[in-house]
Amino acid sequence: MVKGKKREGVKAGNTKQILNFALSACSILLLLWVWFSVSAVNSRLIPTPAVTWERFLLLLEKPVMRVSFGGHILISLRRILLALIASWIIGISFGVFIGWNKKMNALLGSVFELIRPIPPLAWIPLITICFGIGEFPKLLIVFIGAVMPVIINSRAGMQGIEQIYLDVGIAFNGTQAQVLKEIAIPAALPVIFAGIRTSTSVAWSVVLAAEMIGANAGVGFLVVRGMNGDDMALVVVAMITIGVIGALLSVLTSWMERLVCPWMNIK
Amino acid sequence: MDEHKIILKLRGISKTFENKKGEKHEVVREISLTVFENEFVVFLGPGHCGKSVIINMIEGLLTPTSGEIELKGEPIHGSDPRIGMVFQTTALMPWKTVMENTELGLKFAGVPKSERRAAARKYLDLVGLKGFEKAYPGQLSGGMKQRVGIARAYAYNPEILLMDEPFGALDAQTRYAMEEELIRIWQQQKRTVVFVTNNIEEAVFLSDRIVLFSECPARIKTIYQNPLPRPRDPISPEFMEFRQMVSAQTDLSL
Repeated sequence: MVKGKKREGVKAGNTKQILNFALSACSILLLLWVWFSVSAVNSRLIPTPAVTWERFLLLLEKPVMRVSFGGHILISLRRILLALIASWIIGISFGVFIGWNKKMNALLGSVFELIRPIPPLAWIPLITICFGIGEFPKLLIVFIGAVMPVIINSRAGMQGIEQIYLDVGIAFNGTQAQVLKEIAIPAALPVIFAGIRTSTSVAWSVVLAAEMIGANAGVGFLVVRGMNGDDMALVVVAMITIGVIGALLSVLTSWMERLVCPWMNIK
Repeated sequence: MDEHKIILKLRGISKTFENKKGEKHEVVREISLTVFENEFVVFLGPGHCGKSVIINMIEGLLTPTSGEIELKGEPIHGSDPRIGMVFQTTALMPWKTVMENTELGLKFAGVPKSERRAAARKYLDLVGLKGFEKAYPGQLSGGMKQRVGIARAYAYNPEILLMDEPFGALDAQTRYAMEEELIRIWQQQKRTVVFVTNNIEEAVFLSDRIVLFSECPARIKTIYQNPLPRPRDPISPEFMEFRQMVSAQTDLSL
């Protein structure tokens, strides 16, 4: 009987999956249709899909500023990767620290609350004055954007641990460090991971903005280049690239989450 | 069997909680009790009368407002490795496998991996979970989870096992089965057990002695020596009779 139920469940799951897939395909088709009709009416301002496709093929052959299309993508990805790794290491450590230690939260929490609402792009003038316009200031801006959600979630995760898990640690005479490592951090990990997911999407949008302001490579730079060179097709190609890579990054982080928290998708 | 060797002594312990407004709420009043080695003692009383608070004080999760707890003649403060605990069902770590949950206490104690694995495996086999070592708690039924809880407490090798309504969340059928299992395990691996419940039948089935508590604040009302020989049959006339007697003294507001 249990078996029959399970099989039925799998079947229902399949139908659901197909339906979900069909629905998302529908919405993408709808988007394409809007693009077709808008560009058909005003093809001088908005490039048609066909023109965009040709521009894409041309971009594959002909580098922009002596950097290939793939090169621009890699440059942007490298920037967010470096900034993300730094933001995860620093953000998780700091967030766990202030979430675990109430006195530290009282001491540093309010400063953090003040800095947190400042959007990363508002830091640009200050950072430019201090560090110029090289690679490091861009990484720093991305880092500032990415580290905030990591800190917030790490702290919230640590504060939301169920008392009974900590009681088990005390009952088994764990030291503070053992309880932190074996119980508290794993208990907070799903919430911390939500922060990691947010940080990835924030980093991706901030790096593009940072590149639009002052860079000579990267996907954000392609957008500016297209705008300045009256090459709207390039702008659209870059926009689509941004969307696709953003979606891939989000798939990548969910995959990472499944790898790190295998117990999360049991049911 | 040292039936009359004292292992645990509660000397007039009380607990009063204070809320943020400063209002005092007394939950445990002047409990004095002696527990003997390898004895199965059941704390029986109504829902919210502070039995769990007593258990948590013995475990060291709470500190008594007054009074003292002695283990083998010496007062204890905080958590003592000679006392283990079986928590209510949710206390397994969902991120650890059955094996990792079971060996947690030994890992904290710094026992080498091969040794603690062997100990954990021994008790997992004893509670009937052979083959489930790599499963996560989310994949187990309520009864199986509590078997892991029992194995985890046993693997830590304490002299006293505290059990705080371990079967409270289980359905009646599983509960009967687990009670029988617990007695089987206890008879194979004798330990002193202090078991909290609000279920009279469970108390009569499991106990050597029943400590009956009153409503809030918890005070000891009566102590019964359980006259029934083991194994016990819950539908025998003797069982019913003893159950009736305990029941008459109990004000269970469930």
